[in-house]
Amino acid sequence: MRLSKRSTGATMLAASFVLAATGCSTKAPESSGGGGGGAAAGDVTTDVGVEGETINLGVLTDLTGVFAALGNDITNANTLFWQNNQVCDTYDVTLDVQDTGYVPQQGVQLYSGMQDNVLAMQQTIGSPINTALAPEYESDQIVNFPSAWSKTLTEIPGTGVVGATYDVEIANGYDYLFREGLLQEGDTVGHIYFEGEYGANGVEGTRAVAEAKGLEVIEAQIKATDQDMSAQITQFNSAGVDLIALTVAPGQTASVATVAAAQGLDVPILGSNPVFAPGLLEGPAAEWLKTHLYVASPVSSFDAHPELLQQYQEAYPDAVPSLGVVVGFGMSEMMKQVLDAACENGDLTREGVLTAFQELEEVDTGGLVVPIRGFEVGQSPSLESFILQPADVPGGATVLEDAFEGEFAADIAG
Amino acid sequence: MTQFLSLLLNGISLGALYALIALGFVIIFKSSEVVSFTHGSLLLLGAYSIARLSDSIGFLPAVVVGILITALAAFVIERLIINRLRGAAVISLAIVTIGVDIIILTELIRQIGSDILNVPHPWGGESFRVGSIGLSQNRLIAFVVAAVLIAAFFAAFKYSSWGIAMRASAEDGETAALMGIRQGRVSALAWVVAGVLAAVAALFLVGSPTPGVSPTAYAVALRAFPAAILGGLDSTGGALVGGLLIGIAEAMAAGYQDQLLFLGRGFSAVVPFIVMIAVLMFRPSGLFGTKELTRV
Repeated sequence: MRLSKRSTGATMLAASFVLAATGCSTKAPESSGGGGGGAAAGDVTTDVGVEGETINLGVLTDLTGVFAALGNDITNANTLFWQNNQVCDTYDVTLDVQDTGYVPQQGVQLYSGMQDNVLAMQQTIGSPINTALAPEYESDQIVNFPSAWSKTLTEIPGTGVVGATYDVEIANGYDYLFREGLLQEGDTVGHIYFEGEYGANGVEGTRAVAEAKGLEVIEAQIKATDQDMSAQITQFNSAGVDLIALTVAPGQTASVATVAAAQGLDVPILGSNPVFAPGLLEGPAAEWLKTHLYVASPVSSFDAHPELLQQYQEAYPDAVPSLGVVVGFGMSEMMKQVLDAACENGDLTREGVLTAFQELEEVDTGGLVVPIRGFEVGQSPSLESFILQPADVPGGATVLEDAFEGEFAADIAG
Repeated sequence: MTQFLSLLLNGISLGALYALIALGFVIIFKSSEVVSFTHGSLLLLGAYSIARLSDSIGFLPAVVVGILITALAAFVIERLIINRLRGAAVISLAIVTIGVDIIILTELIRQIGSDILNVPHPWGGESFRVGSIGLSQNRLIAFVVAAVLIAAFFAAFKYSSWGIAMRASAEDGETAALMGIRQGRVSALAWVVAGVLAAVAALFLVGSPTPGVSPTAYAVALRAFPAAILGGLDSTGGALVGGLLIGIAEAMAAGYQDQLLFLGRGFSAVVPFIVMIAVLMFRPSGLFGTKELTRV
């Protein structure tokens, strides 16, 4: 769904009304006295979530639900980042970490508990929880970083998707495969995707590329609980597909690789970023994945950032880090840039932070996350993706190609 | 034709695993009149235990211990909860099992997280091929093991004193009790056997072509439920036929998704339930279930 210029304008206008309304409401901005800190602190206006020289950010993550491992990795990375960084060289950042268990209702309740104490949300895990909280985030002028890449999330003002949306991401994957000669115009592609936002957004990318390049697409929609991909791969095999595209979870990726290997369907597999988990390299599909799977990703791998892995492992020696750690560091770096900009503008109120977020352009996270062009409502924040491939390296994936903008990205992103 | 035969073979091997799980439902129902919804979590517990233990004690010992853990969990559920609620309404017992299922499942999901746990099957991801038709070795072994277990179960059901006691209890509980059959013991043993069958099914369900233990494995048990119902909830033979029917129908619907597009995408997920409803329309007690006769 693309917002037209007019509706974008209308949203901005509505947002500015909200800003004005909340500005006149309950709390009068108080000045953070700051004493002893950087020169900036004394002149900075603050309201909610800033006390003295401490900024409080919220984290709604999943530490006990289905995405517990990912939630732990991202949250640990957030924590580690803010232990070593300050805003404006003045403000320390504390995180109010709450566990939603991946239950939207719980997320809404936990947010209402932290609502009056946090300046912004460092992390909100899961599309359903982000969607459930969208009206509150919008009315509270909250800047928030989700750990999902659905296009619908870009429609929430203040919510910054950490990279390209799934449609742009997979289209960049196709671009790579065309350039490497792994896919030709007019070829046949079988795309397995989850029902729901994630899958729908991924398959949109495939459809757009198919139209541009005359690909024939066989679509197979599955539920997240479907584990056995035998029937789908058998169908693809008889149709003679030249590529398998996936917008699924790691469990289905393992099944696809095992069945494709068993049936001798020797074609590349292209995946959206959530299809991969390091655990895949311990299963029977490992060898096939190392040579056939190409993952389009908004974040780089540990292979390219060994110092990050070392830092993480020193702090959390028992953890088996996934790429969620890179996402966590990347989104923290983005939050730092937003808060730094707001601080430099002398306005660390929620309104000031939201303005800084909306004005942000060309965000560079030092290669952790793809370059962000800016956060405009309804648009993919980035046109670029990394291409990763599973390998026997720390973190389980190596970078085949650094962040790049593919041929189809601009058209799809709008 | 190749596609059809491949799908058929896959369907049969999957159906054999469904049959193992459905058999568990049936014997629990026959012995204690409880419709048990705990099978999803028992299945996941079996798979999780085997995966976690394999690293430290090796594959075979882990399989044995994993099966024992699952059987023990089923035994504990029966002794601590079901046995104490004997005489409660059947519907209450069914809802109690849903509660137990959610408790176990939540903890297992927390333990597993979003990663993939692998069971190091010695046969790995290799496949067995006849011409261009292939079946993973894991599924082939699963089929053989399921066939042996089901045959052994039928023999025990017919000839062992436990089987006779169970059949008597199912036929007429009060008379059986008067004849000295200890129904509590029959019921406990039924739960243990169901636990063992669930763990064995789990061992193969987390191997090729669906390698890795993830929380979604529990959903397989939900698909075995229609298998038990359409076969006839009190018929062991029905569980076998029902399992195979559901397995084949599901594989075909997924494999011919494009031809069935007029029914909507994701049709294969609802196929088990459509087959079940279709059968029950014509045979309300299932294919082989006992017809309830009421003298008027």
